[in-house]
Amino acid sequence: MIRRAILLALPFLLLFLSLFVGRLDVGPGDVLRIVASQIFPITRSWPEAVETIVVQIRLPRALMAMCVGAGLSISGAAFQGMFRNPLVSPDVLGVSAASGFGAALAILLSRSSVELQIIAFAFGLLGVAITYMLARVYQTTPVLMLVLSGVVVAAFFSALLSGVKFVADPENTLPAITYWLLGSFNAATLRTVVVVVPAIAAGTIGLLLVSWKLNLLSMGDEDARALGVRTERLKAAIVVCTTLITSAAVSTSGVIGWVGLVMPHVARTIVGPDHRYLLPASLSVGASYLLVIDGIARSAVAVEIPIGILTAVIGAPYFAYLLRRTNGTWQ
Amino acid sequence: MARLKPGPTIVVVALLGLALSQPAAQSRSSTSGPTRQLTDITGRTVTLPSRVTRVADPWHANNGMILMMGGANKIVATTMQAKKQPWFRKLHPRIENVPAAFDEAGEVNIETLIGTRPDVVLMAYGGTLPRWKATADTYGIPVFMMPNTSLADLKTTARMTGEVLGPSESARAAEWIRYFDDNIRRVTAETSRIPASERPRVLHTATGTILTIDGQKTVIDDWITVAGGVNAATVVSNARPVSMEQIAAWNPDVIIVGTAPNEENRRAILNDPRWSQIKAVRTGRVYVNPSGVYLWDRHSAEAALQVLWAAKTLHPNRFPDLDLKKETKAFYAKFFNYTLSDAEYSAIMRAAAS
Repeated sequence: MIRRAILLALPFLLLFLSLFVGRLDVGPGDVLRIVASQIFPITRSWPEAVETIVVQIRLPRALMAMCVGAGLSISGAAFQGMFRNPLVSPDVLGVSAASGFGAALAILLSRSSVELQIIAFAFGLLGVAITYMLARVYQTTPVLMLVLSGVVVAAFFSALLSGVKFVADPENTLPAITYWLLGSFNAATLRTVVVVVPAIAAGTIGLLLVSWKLNLLSMGDEDARALGVRTERLKAAIVVCTTLITSAAVSTSGVIGWVGLVMPHVARTIVGPDHRYLLPASLSVGASYLLVIDGIARSAVAVEIPIGILTAVIGAPYFAYLLRRTNGTWQ
Repeated sequence: MARLKPGPTIVVVALLGLALSQPAAQSRSSTSGPTRQLTDITGRTVTLPSRVTRVADPWHANNGMILMMGGANKIVATTMQAKKQPWFRKLHPRIENVPAAFDEAGEVNIETLIGTRPDVVLMAYGGTLPRWKATADTYGIPVFMMPNTSLADLKTTARMTGEVLGPSESARAAEWIRYFDDNIRRVTAETSRIPASERPRVLHTATGTILTIDGQKTVIDDWITVAGGVNAATVVSNARPVSMEQIAAWNPDVIIVGTAPNEENRRAILNDPRWSQIKAVRTGRVYVNPSGVYLWDRHSAEAALQVLWAAKTLHPNRFPDLDLKKETKAFYAKFFNYTLSDAEYSAIMRAAAS
């Protein structure tokens, strides 16, 4: 019970604390008053510039980190259950590679950041659609076919992405593409939050609704069918939900690896393997994790540290630790 | 045992011989002629034919420098980026038929390069020699390295490029360096007297879609200083990613938008609520950096004009007599043999593709 309360409260507490962290020195009192003034009528006693920092820069960024972390993490948990494989991450169906290609294309063609997000999102959906169609065998989508098709689609879009990098200007376009691929929440504005959060929320609600069926699906397609689960429909629903989440996440903040792979394992060590608890716990753990990591990325040094580097540097050793501790059995 | 048949053996030996002699057969006739020696920025002595008539240039920006020196006809291999530059195409349409032997990162298609029979490859030195240097050596293609991280480097590179190309280009480069130095003197005569408190803090953006900033120890940092400003960015090197909050912390007095589509990127900054409280935005001091044959703000012939433009932009009241339009037209007439129309001038100032 206490555990659940902590899991529920932690992301919101960290979201609140994120407003106090940054490169600029803003007094904690000012931050508190600014936050309060959004709800209560308080006369302004602080410079407008400070309010812009807190409301227009820190808040959208923290909200975005929280939602993307939660979304990637729950997608990873759902996929690990559906594929019955602890090594699966949300981009197993090629969504990151396809989205990344779309984004690189948008940067190459000097499109605005809004257009970049739309193009990246569209390519993410397209990539997974191709994977899903490739994996269809006699009206079914065997898990192995999905994985292999995902590998094919990811490889194809990675090659296209390399092609874009090949023709990009090394003085400015190429570094921009490289930074984008490493992930960052710097593009977050209140407007992008308003667009992206509903997409991630819709996918998340969908996954939470089917979370109990995931327990049956994780016993294998045949057993699940024997218990009356319409496995093909369920798998399709999960693919649609996770794709919605990851495309939205990748299109706004780049490719942030390791969150969707590692965070479900962290959640599993807290609440166990039952998907009814694992999925909500993954939401909380993922959101908290990215809030902390992005706090470091945006405030440690003057240059923005690409967040994908931080998540990998921290995620990979932790994964190695889990691997050793469980001797590969993931119990 | 069956004896080795003579027929096939002869064919194999002949083919082997042919393959081994390939480098020699392919190498240029000019190596046999008179040569001269020049020292490049790495301190290596490079042996060149006394008359260089064919150069390969994998450095986009330096192609424009060669054009300014009147040596563009000698370019036999270039990059896609240089071929795409609208003003370059306009002033030197023959670039259309010059193969892009180099990719955007300076890597080469070695066979294309050999096929163009260059006397020399001119390159920017970023701390390492190109990976294909050994191959170029095998085929007797000299690789000449030049520096690229400051305004002083730009002048050194112009001088070196001229020396490699020949006497007429060298004279032209010297003329350009004199003009450049005159402009720097003209500007610093005024800006050197500006007290630190009156020097605006300037932020120069390198890319728009994904925001990156040009920091210290760059060509950009140098001309900001010459023009009587201070680089607001404390990061080092070109095109660094920084967070919005870091920009707010720097709170620049002036923002110069340095990437295409500049005008759109400028409007994006002016309309973004996150930028609204930055001093430059509140006081309306957000400018588009001009761009012509190449980007004025980087390694380019027009860097000589950039110092004038930046000085006038940062300190309009201190340079009342500086007529930028007149200077620009005179510059293009003198160094590119091109008569600029008023419409073309304003397109260059807006960094629009004419």
